[in-house]
Amino acid sequence: MSTGPTGTDSAELSTDQPAAPSPAPNTRTAAPATGSGSTGSTGATGSGPSGAAPGAVQADVAPTAGGNAEIPAGAEGLRLSRISKILGGRTIVDTLDLTVAKGELVCLLGPSGCGKTTTLRMIGGFLQPDKGRLTINGKDFTFAKPEHRPTAMVFQNYALWPHMTVAKNIGFGLKVRKLSAAAIREKVDWALDLLSLTHHRDSMPARISGGEQQRVALARALVLEPEVLLMDEPLSNLDAKLRVSVRETIREIQQRLGITTVFVTHDQEEALSIADRVAVMNNGKIEQLDVPAELYRLPRTSFVAGFVGSMNTLDVAPRDGGVPLADGTVLPCERMSGDAGDAVWIRPEDLVIEPEGAPGSTRAVVLRVIPRGHYREVLLQCHGTTLRSFTDTEPEAEQAVGVRATDALVYADGVLVQQ
Amino acid sequence: MTVLTSQDTSPSPAGPSGSAGDGAGGRNGAGTGARRLRRIGFSALMVSPPVLVVLVFVGIPVVTGIAYALGYTGGPNEMATMLSNSVLRNNGAPTLDVFAKIFDDPLFLKGFWITITVTVVTVVVVTVLAWGIALYARLSGSRWSRILTGIAVVPMFIPVVIGAYAIRNFYLGSGFWGSVWQLLGVQMDPLSYHTSGVIIGQIWTSLPFAVLLISSGVAAVPDALIHAARDAGASMARAVWSVMVPMATVPTVIVATFTGVGVLGSFTVPFMIGATSPTMLGVQMVTTYNAYGLPQDAQAMAVVLFLMAILIGWGYVWAQARQARSSAVMN
Amino acid sequence: MTTVSAGIPSGPATVDTDGELADDTRQLTPAERRRRMLWKVLGALASAVLVLFIVGPLIWLALAAFSDQWTAPRLLPQSWTLDWWKTVLDQPELVESFWRSLQFALIATAVSAAICLPAAYALGRTKFPGRRVVLIGLFATNAFPKMGLYTSIATLFYAMNLMNTGTAIVIVQLLGTIVTMVWIPAAAFASVPPSLLEAARDAGAGPLRTFFSITLRQAIPGIAVALILAFLACFDEAQGTYLVKPGSYSTMPTMMYTLVENYPAQAAAVFAIALTIPSVLLLLAVRKYILGGHLAEGFQIK
Repeated sequence: MSTGPTGTDSAELSTDQPAAPSPAPNTRTAAPATGSGSTGSTGATGSGPSGAAPGAVQADVAPTAGGNAEIPAGAEGLRLSRISKILGGRTIVDTLDLTVAKGELVCLLGPSGCGKTTTLRMIGGFLQPDKGRLTINGKDFTFAKPEHRPTAMVFQNYALWPHMTVAKNIGFGLKVRKLSAAAIREKVDWALDLLSLTHHRDSMPARISGGEQQRVALARALVLEPEVLLMDEPLSNLDAKLRVSVRETIREIQQRLGITTVFVTHDQEEALSIADRVAVMNNGKIEQLDVPAELYRLPRTSFVAGFVGSMNTLDVAPRDGGVPLADGTVLPCERMSGDAGDAVWIRPEDLVIEPEGAPGSTRAVVLRVIPRGHYREVLLQCHGTTLRSFTDTEPEAEQAVGVRATDALVYADGVLVQQ
Repeated sequence: MTVLTSQDTSPSPAGPSGSAGDGAGGRNGAGTGARRLRRIGFSALMVSPPVLVVLVFVGIPVVTGIAYALGYTGGPNEMATMLSNSVLRNNGAPTLDVFAKIFDDPLFLKGFWITITVTVVTVVVVTVLAWGIALYARLSGSRWSRILTGIAVVPMFIPVVIGAYAIRNFYLGSGFWGSVWQLLGVQMDPLSYHTSGVIIGQIWTSLPFAVLLISSGVAAVPDALIHAARDAGASMARAVWSVMVPMATVPTVIVATFTGVGVLGSFTVPFMIGATSPTMLGVQMVTTYNAYGLPQDAQAMAVVLFLMAILIGWGYVWAQARQARSSAVMN
Repeated sequence: MTTVSAGIPSGPATVDTDGELADDTRQLTPAERRRRMLWKVLGALASAVLVLFIVGPLIWLALAAFSDQWTAPRLLPQSWTLDWWKTVLDQPELVESFWRSLQFALIATAVSAAICLPAAYALGRTKFPGRRVVLIGLFATNAFPKMGLYTSIATLFYAMNLMNTGTAIVIVQLLGTIVTMVWIPAAAFASVPPSLLEAARDAGAGPLRTFFSITLRQAIPGIAVALILAFLACFDEAQGTYLVKPGSYSTMPTMMYTLVENYPAQAAAVFAIALTIPSVLLLLAVRKYILGGHLAEGFQIK
């Protein structure tokens, strides 16, 4: 940090600012209570990342429109260019390109072993790329050591130093930078306050709960005023309920401070609800980088489609404006992404259940109804093929119904066919 | 630490990103190799002092000692030879004459068999006792069982010399042993100055290690496995025999081997408690070396002990290999 | 005694695998009750014998140290005195041996630490070819029957003109500490989670700062245990010292060998107790480590 570029347009991230904590109150008022802002963007189709706008301080942070749109050079916070990493003879990260705008939160999403953590560790400096180049706010940091990078990491297991109190943990990096005791105290207090940890100032890490440890880890990273915040599955050790609330806290603070953030997770729901853009990774490559809504609506590859949300996967070529079922009957689809391919995938919510014989529908028999709270998951036997539908209607098992598909995605060799 | 400092510090490769990437790749690859070498070199440097100490003060003595026993009396053995009352020299080729000589000595043979007896009896008794204590603690879980385990570990806190001295006095005719029998009106020989006393002393000093290892082995068997065995209709004894014993085999073997090697090479316990002669080889070696002035004979005895230890050590290696296998399965 | 048992891993306490405990709630047939009674009596007897076997000799020794007149077959001294303590403290050669023991043990421990701790760090924190060979090789020093090894070393010492020198004693004592001093700290260094170090680097600390603030700080308990165990091993070492020092350098433990003949039994008992005190105190300090199962882990090569 101390050696990092200071003359950037991100004023509050500069170490030269002695009273770094001071922007916090301003931003606090600027930020409406929108922990759920990003979640809302899931519903909005095709628009820009609505989540980034409300909390971000800088005007130029939000990437315009679609997921892969070019980010203007000045607004670029982090850039990975053709990065590769080989570990133990295996290519873990394969000529990967990724640009993150200033103040943007990008999730790296993928199954274990897809290279997402390796990528994050290369950004943090814990691994050095075998090929490629890495810049932060325009400066090259490809081979810089972790301590010389303007990045701060929140580790999966938090990595709090067990022999230091919460305040010492948070202040360690400042002490290393030889700040005065008063300055350290001020900044630590700011971080403690930011994450509502003030009452735990002198607690030992082992004495506080998992959620609180998580917040200490975040405070420890934020107090360094990093140019890029890195989070390695920070929520995976929390229970389900806590995960949601901590995730909202993280999002809120990230937006308030406008920190460029890379967040690694294998949980698609987490990724879709927290990120401005999500990069779905597979075999060391980014399969698709997009805003959450687009990612869900138009998964460009069958891997992304299978990884994000659920799908009816019918591995047959489309025919006559629909998809042939096991006995050859064609299930009509209103909108298909293309008309030639080798697989037709349909979201369960795009399979509409209607009364038997409704016009445009195909007959099916209900196999099983699974209540899912505010909707129902229905398994259908439809001309020899088992289909899954999410519906608001309330069919009963063994009832005969009509089924119709609204949208279908057509893939050829695993790639989305678009007209 | 310096492993990390020695890392290639070269920061940004300049130039257009494509070629810079390739260039960096090549350079970085070479850098990795050099760094790796430097790191290995540094580790080697840090590791070398204790390795050297062991090589010089264990490796060399063992090799020259074996050579001495095989009739090589010169070189590093020259000095000891000069101080010896008699040595057997070979004429260039190794000879087993020294071994023939000591195995002709009835005193050595007696000591040899005493050593084997004491070792075998101690290993068996210590292992069984430790298992009994560990099982009692595990199965009853009572406060008393934990106190008992604590008491069994007490000898570890006492220097061996003191323990041996205390045991010697305790089992003397004028000690507790003699007094109790005398008060009961029974004629009973003292156990001190006798092989049975030596065995008692060996058990006493070896027990703590055995109890600690086997207790932790037994404690590591998950409850669920025992419950499952009981659930399947096995009696408690059966559950112990078919679940706990196999799962704690490795610590048991470690206990047996370490106790065995420890007893083989012991001096203090037989010296303090045992008869002057014949007695265990540990004592006979010292007497042969210093009092009789026959270092070469003592050396041959040491080689005999080494060979016995190798037999026992094979058990340890086997247990380690088994451990590695079973943990490979578990992961 | 209770202090010792307090440190025993409490694992078994929570175990309810015991059929007998579980059965307590239901009615027992008379035959069952008899059988359980029999087991209880047998268990109590076995425990009593074990306690007598372990503690008896030590109590007997302690009694002797305070006895004035004690003739067999009495089980307790007839009269008591503290004079033997005075006698022992008045013997310059005995007091001197105590200081000499302390001196040698401290020197040997310090040398051992200087030699072994860097190696422990390298073995615990870095991977390099031959690492396992080194670990096992060092461990092999334990696989030689001690006395066999010492006679071999004595021959070498004669050749090196080290026989009957302080250096020889330090070397012999040092050899007994190497495994402890390498293995326990290596395990301590190895058990520091890498993420703690990465977090420190991430926070801006350089390698040295990270080492002193995190790695070393986390490994200190393990190193302290190794230092104490090594010191005790040196302080209590008797047989090796006895073989290489003939004559001039008598340490406390080696004095015990000859004390038996030269002094009354009561004086020897006093001397023995005096020699035991440092061991007991220091071992009580590390009893959690020893009784907590760490010692057992140390014997498994990873």
